[in-house]
Amino acid sequence: MLVKDAVTLKITLPKIPDIELVALEGLDRLAHHLGIAEEKIGEARILVTEAIINAFEHSGEKSPPVRVEFTMTTKELVIFVRDYGKGFEPASIEEPDIRTKMESKNKREWGLKVMKSMSDDFRIESSHRGTKITIRKLLS
Amino acid sequence: MEQPFTLTSEVRNNRLIISTSGYVNNLGGEAIAKEFSRHFSSGTKEVIINLAQSKVVNSIGMSFLIEIIEQLQEVNGKLVFTNVDPAVEKMLTIMGLFRFAGKERTVEDALESFSQRK
Repeated sequence: MLVKDAVTLKITLPKIPDIELVALEGLDRLAHHLGIAEEKIGEARILVTEAIINAFEHSGEKSPPVRVEFTMTTKELVIFVRDYGKGFEPASIEEPDIRTKMESKNKREWGLKVMKSMSDDFRIESSHRGTKITIRKLLS
Repeated sequence: MEQPFTLTSEVRNNRLIISTSGYVNNLGGEAIAKEFSRHFSSGTKEVIINLAQSKVVNSIGMSFLIEIIEQLQEVNGKLVFTNVDPAVEKMLTIMGLFRFAGKERTVEDALESFSQRK
C-alpha cells in the first residue's frame, strides 16, 4: 500500500467570528489530498474547532492572532494551536459534569474535557506568555 | 465549507421540532435556546433537535442546550436529538447530554418515541 508523506499546513488566524471554519477547510483539503475518508476526520474536526475557540477564549482582545499547525499522514493528525494570551492554569479548571452544570449559571468550559476525551494524546502548556495545545489523533 | 447557522422550527402534535443547518457555534446555540423558550412558555414540553444539516458544532453552542434540558426536566418534559453525526454524538456523550436527553435516528423515530412515552 502506498503511504503518502506527511503534509503540513500552517495558518495564522485573526480573531474574527467563525474563523475556525477556515482551519476546518484546510483540514478537509489535507484529508482529501491523502485520500482519508470524510467519516475518519469527523472527530478531528471537533478537536480543531475546540482547540481554536479555546485559544481565542484565553488570548484576550488585544493579543496577537492564534497560530495553528496541522501535520497529517494517512495514519494520524497532529494539531498544534498556540495563542499569545495571558495563559491560565489548566489544573485549576474543574472537570465539568452535566449535573453540576445544570445547577450552575455557567454552562460552559467543556472544551478541555472534550479535547482530552476525544484525542489519542493531549498536551497543554500555559504561562503568562500564552498557551500551547498539542493534540494527536489517530486516523486509521 | 460549513455554512453559517440557520434554524427552522415546526410544531407537530404540540411537539416542537427545531431543525438546524450549518455550524452550531455560540450564536447558533443561543438561537436554539431562544426558539425553545418561545415555545416552552406556551406549554411545549417535548422537543426534538434535528441536527441533520449540522456536521460541525462547538461545545459553547452545545452548552446552551443544557439550559433547555434543565427547564424540560422541571416540567417532566424531554429533549430528543435526531440525525446526529457520529462525531457530534461522541461530543454530546462526553458532555453527558444523553444522560438527560434522548437520541433517535430520525425525526419520525423521535415522534414515535414520544408517543410511546405516554
